[in-house]
Amino acid sequence: MNAFQYATAQSNASARELAGAKGMYVAGGNDLLGLLKDYLVPAPDILVNIKALPGMSQIQRGDKTWAIGALVTVAEIEDDPDIRETFPGLHEAAAEIASQQIRNVATVGGNLAQHSRCWYFRHRDTVCLKKGGDLCYALNSDNRYHSLFTGNTCISPVVSSLATMFAALDATAIVLRDSQETRMSMDDLYHAAWENPLAHNSLKPGDLITRVEIPVARHRSTYMQVSDKHTFDWALVSCAAAADVDGGKLSSPRVALGSISPVPHQVEAANAFLDGRTLDDATASAAADMILAGAKPLEHNGYKMPLAHALIRRALSKLVA
Amino acid sequence: MSSWPSQTKYIGAETRRIDAPQKVTGQARYSSDIQAPGWLYGMILRSSLPAAKIGGINVDKARQIPGIKAVVTLGDGERTVHFYGEELAAVAGTTKQACLDALRAIEVDATPMPFVVHETDAKKTDSAKVWEGSPNFGGPSTREHGDVDSAFSECAAIIEGFYTTPVQIHNPMETHGNTVSWTDDGVTCWASTQGISSVKDSLSGALQVDQSQVRVITEYMGGGFGAKFNAGVEGILAARLSREAKAPVRMMLTRFDEALAVGNRPSSFQKIKMGALADGTLHAFEMDNYGTAGFAAGGATGGGGSGVELPMPYLYRVPNSRVSQTVVAVNAGSARAFRAPSNPPASYGMESAMDDLAVKLGMDPVEFRLKNDPNPIRQREYAIGVEKFGWKDKYKKPGSSPGIVKTGVGCAGAAWPAGGGTRSTKGEASIYPDGSVEFRLGVQDIGTGTRTVIAVVAAELLGLTPEQIRVRVGDTNFPPGPGSGGSTTCPSVAPTVNDICSNALQQLQTLSGVADARGDNWYAACKKLGVTPLTVHGQWQPGLSESRACGVQFAEVAVDTETGFVTLKKVVAVHDCGLIIDKLTLESQINGGVIMGMGYALYEERVMDDLSGVVLNPNFETYKLPGIADVPDIDVVLINMPERGVIGIGEPATVPTAAAIGNAVANALGVRVSSLPITPAKVLAALGKVPPVASTTT
Ligand SMILES: Cc1cc2nc3c(=O)[nH]c(=O)nc-3n(C[C@H](O)[C@H](O)[C@H](O)COP(=O)(O)OP(=O)(O)OC[C@H]3O[C@@H](n4cnc5c(N)ncnc54)[C@H](O)[C@@H]3O)c2cc1C
Repeated sequence: MNAFQYATAQSNASARELAGAKGMYVAGGNDLLGLLKDYLVPAPDILVNIKALPGMSQIQRGDKTWAIGALVTVAEIEDDPDIRETFPGLHEAAAEIASQQIRNVATVGGNLAQHSRCWYFRHRDTVCLKKGGDLCYALNSDNRYHSLFTGNTCISPVVSSLATMFAALDATAIVLRDSQETRMSMDDLYHAAWENPLAHNSLKPGDLITRVEIPVARHRSTYMQVSDKHTFDWALVSCAAAADVDGGKLSSPRVALGSISPVPHQVEAANAFLDGRTLDDATASAAADMILAGAKPLEHNGYKMPLAHALIRRALSKLVA
Repeated sequence: MSSWPSQTKYIGAETRRIDAPQKVTGQARYSSDIQAPGWLYGMILRSSLPAAKIGGINVDKARQIPGIKAVVTLGDGERTVHFYGEELAAVAGTTKQACLDALRAIEVDATPMPFVVHETDAKKTDSAKVWEGSPNFGGPSTREHGDVDSAFSECAAIIEGFYTTPVQIHNPMETHGNTVSWTDDGVTCWASTQGISSVKDSLSGALQVDQSQVRVITEYMGGGFGAKFNAGVEGILAARLSREAKAPVRMMLTRFDEALAVGNRPSSFQKIKMGALADGTLHAFEMDNYGTAGFAAGGATGGGGSGVELPMPYLYRVPNSRVSQTVVAVNAGSARAFRAPSNPPASYGMESAMDDLAVKLGMDPVEFRLKNDPNPIRQREYAIGVEKFGWKDKYKKPGSSPGIVKTGVGCAGAAWPAGGGTRSTKGEASIYPDGSVEFRLGVQDIGTGTRTVIAVVAAELLGLTPEQIRVRVGDTNFPPGPGSGGSTTCPSVAPTVNDICSNALQQLQTLSGVADARGDNWYAACKKLGVTPLTVHGQWQPGLSESRACGVQFAEVAVDTETGFVTLKKVVAVHDCGLIIDKLTLESQINGGVIMGMGYALYEERVMDDLSGVVLNPNFETYKLPGIADVPDIDVVLINMPERGVIGIGEPATVPTAAAIGNAVANALGVRVSSLPITPAKVLAALGKVPPVASTTT
């Protein structure tokens, strides 16, 4: 990797100041070090360690809203008994991520801000669209792990398992931008990647995720994914769902899918369709059809269609089980 | 003539690895742990293009990087690159980062050339040529017995299938590499190798240094699976760098490198037609197979097939057969021997066809095999396996398992033609007046438990315990032993140790006057040696080992028909390998073989990219290997056959696993996924659930 300065920030303001225009934050380092070692991102002149920032390592439990600090680790989410109780889907999503070793150091902020996992982007010897080249290799070659939806010509999907679950929970990322707190839905957080092949998310240089707020509005939630292997493997498709269930009826349901679009894939019309309904097979299936409508399967990723369909149906029926 | 004792205490029992404490405490020094005084890091610059004309390589800037002590290039002047990852130059320096920086500072004048990375494309007449001006494949090699065409007309049932297997990468836990010190006194190489003697020979030849001046040491190493017999380009580069830098150079490849240039198992694309008579007797077999062994396999080099050609119709007696095979070159790294070369793909193709034909005949797949497999040992093993696995209860009509998650079962047989001893194996032992004893053999322990085998045999024959036997291996200064390949190590080493022991007992008797120095008399007899230790030699003797192990495996799977996800639930592996030396290390070999076979069946595949020519998955994130959560319940059943002598097991253990799993999946679904690895994507496609491509892109 290229040489860089290294500094540990003690306050949010100093973190932003230290990072300047060409610095990068480092939290657990799982994603960032790999990017730097393979020269996949423009060389930062400074790495600002944000692990010492105050107030970002807590899980705050409120009546209406929980706040999960950006430095909380994935393992802490997985192990927290209250999360398991209140947001079971979040526990499930955390538990599926990578390996125990990675979960122990991976942070919520880093997980949300991680870069594309597309094997062309990650390859040291291909200059793809996402790296400023003029060709999306995946579109024309091996796209088995790629998106069914995109708003541009890059088909690298969002792979953050937490983002998928947060989307279903209607969570908001609180981002410090130009010393202002900005609230971003998961859709906002990835919207830039939907439009712009060069973007991995909507964060601008210097933006700092401080926490994620989750409304305590949906008492049932679940996350499921299918990978090639049982554990320690990326999702081929993931599906998160959350709702309140009252006498078998869904209320405020939300469904989000990962690994099929540059953003957590959500269809508000499907959420609205499900709202107030009693779930049966036909309803779940109709919702899945709505969610997948307009998908553009490519040569090697068509299998994601039946897979996503099945996961949506299963996630919904698990909510009411 | 030498023989094995009929009553044994250690042979055939369970002995824990004698080096287990060293391994679990980290005291065992693997080749990648070696830190020779003053050592430097070595690293290789590889081609970032799959095919190119290299006009020249300028290393001036690399030499300027602080900490860089040597830079060498491969080939002077113009040359052609044939695959992504081909070695171009190498650097040695005091830190890893200095080396990485130096690699980036090397300027390569490369002109890209057309390339082809997929076998099926390389076969087309208008394909890019791997070797300029020469076709990508030679004429097929064809074998024919009987009259195939009229035999098919006599068959009651005929199936046709197209069964394919991917290129599999060895991926041993320890990567390829070594530390080499080359001074005026000669060359010392600490190698991660399965053949210290072959590394010695290859270094001596490549460097033009007398064999007497080359010493190769492999105390502990982390696996090879057939890909680590020679010094390799990396060994020779390390030596040249060491010469230039006047310091030892440690050149361990990275996981990335492993995917490119140090071997793989060739692919296979097997078009099979097979027919049987009404009573289930196989009658006609026809196969057209092609596969690639990488860039060196083309018509231009006339060889380098490394296992593309499959021994078909494998285990079965078919009176009429025609087998036609083509080795295709592509712009990708070369194949090397890989655990039972040719056999796992042969097993997958043939055993898949067997099940498909059994279904068509309405026969039970085991019955069908028993009818056509002439080998009496496998017949016995099927009988045992059927009981142990509960086959009769578990086998149901294909696709008849109810529900969304369907279970299925399958079986397959294994053969390994080799696995006998290497006649030239030698060894020695020193017996000291205090009764301590050390065995030295110029063989290497590649993780299979060779040290333990030596200790078990010596303890048995000397009447001592395995802990009392000190074993040293992995040094070419010891009497020469075989390379650890072909499942030959155990049948080479065990008879040699037997011979050393009988020589030792004879000489001890002469020198000490003690008629039988074994067991309780050992210390008294040794004491009589006075002050001079006794050194005895021995060599491999006939009559103590054999070849040709068999085996059968049964697999049970659960397949989720909505997600395509396959769970391997159980494997029963019934194997023989003659006289069992140590049950624990033997079972460990079989467990490892099954797990590797499972990876071949469900996860592993080198993915080449058409557009860029690179290997797309040069890491364990996307080159998927079984993890412990994937591994099923493995039930190992051993048949001890002391009358056959010692036979190797490493290879047969991995041969039938993928075929058995593939058959189990087909049994569960009622349709076959006829291409490995069996991923959720392929299962859903086989079930007809994948919609057609919506938009074609350019
Ligand atoms: C083999 C493997 C498998 C994996 N499987 C999964 C999986 O199944 N699901 C999944 O979701 N993830 C998976 N991951 C990804 C892993 O979870 C992420 O790499 C990890 O969460 C990143 O967190 P980190 O703290 O280490 O981030 P870092 O590497 O420190 O940072 C990552 C990026 O985020 C930025 N960043 C970090 N914190 C902040 C912040 N507070 N505000 C703004 N920017 C910030 C950094 O600048 C950097 O660009 C896997 C990773 C590996 C290596």
